[in-house]
Amino acid sequence: MTGTLFRNELRMVFRDTRTVLIAVVAPLVLFPLFIFITNFVEERESARLDSATYEFAVTGERSAWADDIVRTALNLDTAGLAIAPASFDRVMTQNADSLLEAGDLHVLVVGRDAVPGDSVAADVPVLELRFRASSDFSRNARNRMEERLLAVRTQLRDSVFQAAGFPVALDEVVVFESDNVASAEKEAGSFLGGVLVPFLILLMLSGGSIVAADSISGEKERGTLETLLTTASSRRDIVNAKLGAIMAVGLAVGLVNIANIGVYIGLGILDLPETLRIGIGVDTLLILLLLTIPLVVMVGAALLLLSGVSNSYKEYQIYFLPLFLVFLLPSMAAFLPGVELSSAIAFVPISGLAVATRALLMGDWHWIWGAIALGSTGAAGWLLLQRTEAALSNERLITSAGADEVEFRGGAALFPREVLTWFVGFWVVFFVVSLWFGEALGVRGQVLVNLWVIFLGGSILLIRRYGLDVRETLQLYAPHWRAWPAVIIGAPSALVLAIGLFGLVNRYLFPVPESLLESFGQSLTADISLWQLIIFVTIMPGVLEEIAFRGVLLSGLRKHLKKPWLAVLVSAAIFGVFHVSLFRIVPTAFLGVVLALVVVRTGSIFPAMLWHFLNNFLAVVPQEMGWIVIDQMEGVGTVWYALAVVGATASWLMMANRSGQLPPEPAGRPTKP
Amino acid sequence: MTDMSQATVRVSDLRKTFYDESRGEVHAVDGLSFDCHPGEVFGLLGANGAGKTTTLRMLSTVLKPSGGTASVMGHDIERDPEAVRRSLGFYSASTALYPRLTARETIEFFTRINGYPAERVQQRVEELVDRFGIAEYQKGRVDKLSSGMKQKVSIARTMAHDPPVLIFDEPTVGLDVMNALAMVKVIRELKEEGKTIIFSSHIMSEVEKLCDRIGIVHRGKLLALGTLDELRAVTGEHYLEDVFLDYVKRAEGIVGEAEIGPAGALHAAGDELPDRSP
Repeated sequence: MTGTLFRNELRMVFRDTRTVLIAVVAPLVLFPLFIFITNFVEERESARLDSATYEFAVTGERSAWADDIVRTALNLDTAGLAIAPASFDRVMTQNADSLLEAGDLHVLVVGRDAVPGDSVAADVPVLELRFRASSDFSRNARNRMEERLLAVRTQLRDSVFQAAGFPVALDEVVVFESDNVASAEKEAGSFLGGVLVPFLILLMLSGGSIVAADSISGEKERGTLETLLTTASSRRDIVNAKLGAIMAVGLAVGLVNIANIGVYIGLGILDLPETLRIGIGVDTLLILLLLTIPLVVMVGAALLLLSGVSNSYKEYQIYFLPLFLVFLLPSMAAFLPGVELSSAIAFVPISGLAVATRALLMGDWHWIWGAIALGSTGAAGWLLLQRTEAALSNERLITSAGADEVEFRGGAALFPREVLTWFVGFWVVFFVVSLWFGEALGVRGQVLVNLWVIFLGGSILLIRRYGLDVRETLQLYAPHWRAWPAVIIGAPSALVLAIGLFGLVNRYLFPVPESLLESFGQSLTADISLWQLIIFVTIMPGVLEEIAFRGVLLSGLRKHLKKPWLAVLVSAAIFGVFHVSLFRIVPTAFLGVVLALVVVRTGSIFPAMLWHFLNNFLAVVPQEMGWIVIDQMEGVGTVWYALAVVGATASWLMMANRSGQLPPEPAGRPTKP
Repeated sequence: MTDMSQATVRVSDLRKTFYDESRGEVHAVDGLSFDCHPGEVFGLLGANGAGKTTTLRMLSTVLKPSGGTASVMGHDIERDPEAVRRSLGFYSASTALYPRLTARETIEFFTRINGYPAERVQQRVEELVDRFGIAEYQKGRVDKLSSGMKQKVSIARTMAHDPPVLIFDEPTVGLDVMNALAMVKVIRELKEEGKTIIFSSHIMSEVEKLCDRIGIVHRGKLLALGTLDELRAVTGEHYLEDVFLDYVKRAEGIVGEAEIGPAGALHAAGDELPDRSP
């Protein structure tokens, strides 16, 4: 059935003559035409600049001196010097400045004394070149004149030094040479790898967009969508067929364009840039194809979703430009200075693929990180497809009125649905603050902003906005007394297990450079006294992070995601990514799982607060104060791990009595008595 | 003969509530219940906005009910929407055709995607092309066809997969007299073939001529359900127009309670249910 739908999509695309013209014929003709004309104009222009005679004049209170130097410069023997050919013609005039402005002079040489503002001593003569940057000829005249004047200065300088008895030519005091040890292949790979993903996205977006615009928003506009939706075909089949058509046409248009360029290069009309001459092995080519799959799917899915949420062609076009930028900008990630595949960038859809592609073509391919890059873009594409399928089931496609009671009523019932979006927003604020104001705020300032403004402020904002029940949301219930000894035993045990886990992850998954660990330790504790350390790193996070993550976030997720364990994992993952450095995400997420379990099991947030405080205290204070020394790379002894397992188990069992309350069942489902 | 023993369409206490920013909570369909049978034309009669289209869209599964259930050929509209859509053809003024396909391609496309056995598709297309006299312009693109030709292609695509149930939602809206008559003729033929037909309209004469049983819908509720003669007997009016007005007036409370005859049996279950408290 998908096949029939897919063939139908393609048939409709190719029957639209405008589509074929714009997608295929236009680039076939326009693209080479554009390059041909650009080359032609450039050649003509440079020929014109080379053959021109530049008018100049000499003025100023030291014009005689200037005149001398200019004369020497124009009579210079340029053989052996890197100086472009040019002919100059001197104009004798009294009002040189107005002639320059009128365009009758190309460059004006002014000989004068130094004035305040020049970076030289007061009695040193200055040669000033006046020109108009708005004119090609004037700019060129200045450049050619300057080259010659600089050559004269070098000669003058050398002769002065020689006269003073200086033994060697000045430039020979130290001779510099640079030697490129990167192979031509690697250099070409770096460039090609960087441009490949943006180029592919550009082609996919321009080719696929033509189909996408027509595909759902076009069907809405023509009234065929209801016809299609009342047939026996499933929503999934429809989405797949339309995605297939977008990808097929996008790729086809891309290939046509690449082949087109290839033909022109073959015919010798275009030159292949030197940097693109690169040999690719079969294995590299296969990985490259593998990398393009999630990219093509994600771009196609995004276009289809855009089409699904737009009510008409016009709306689609309005949204297209932002979408274009959203895809193109992250694809430029490979050009960021110092970016490496083995970093958090691999987790960013598109950016990860861009960096992975460059790494592949430079021969720096790494399977685990490459797989992460593949996975992140693939997952993003999959999510977009899910959204598109949901968009096709959205009743607003058919009727103008919504049928969503929760959305209509808003308030506490709507909160679970929107909590994730809010925390994504909080994360963006958090990230921007650490990126732009991190230096200015310092460690303490950043901690204060994060904890009080983002976490506590955000929590208060959500509680007020949705009119949430504070007690139930934050689980402000008294726990069973056994919860307290459970925390005292559990927190140190879990910390030891976390150190072990960190060691495993570090060894087998993401090796963390030792320098990074050290710099983290320093940044945390630089000039902080013990009491400050306790307040900033243990007490405040213990209370405020619990309110935000195990209070507001977890309660929303427990209602939104039907399964409690899923809510625990998702809240922990979000807690993890709120710690920017990549190597802290895993241990923090582990702590997030533990703390969420404490809340779920004890039915109260207070044990989790104590646990969090103890965890941070034990993790930071004894080491910082030099009471004990733990080598993070080595971990602790096996006995300690065994004790920790026993302690954690005991703690888990002791927490079993919950006296607090579970959040009520999600809205719309009957509440169990 | 109408076989009343097996219902092909069952609608039970069906409800649909919309939440509109300007109008608030709107009970577009408010507890509708009825059954339809093979060889029967069931008419939904009501003014614009009465809830006819919303009901039929729930039956065709493009809208989800807010409450109640319905099934087509035994398939539940919520649990098995694809099987429901396979068993019915849906025709309405808002279901347009693909302009860039030819008439024949249109029929073939809808035959295939509705799950008709692949090896019999061409044969089925031939049948439909013959039946509706499309042969002459079967290679013409839909956007080049006249409205009468388009209508024939539309009917052909609705019954492309030979479904046992056909829904015609205000099929004569916007048609001229000749085309409207042609539409009525097709519906009669389908009835003769034993199809179950649900027909909605606000045009009294069409309903009078076509429908074996009539449901009068007003503000999302079924005011009456029965054959034309039964409705006449209850209201004491002869013309359907007057019958309709009589029911609407009673529902609006314009006529006193005492004047209502012993029509309990004809009233829909939904009418007697109290409004669901939110």
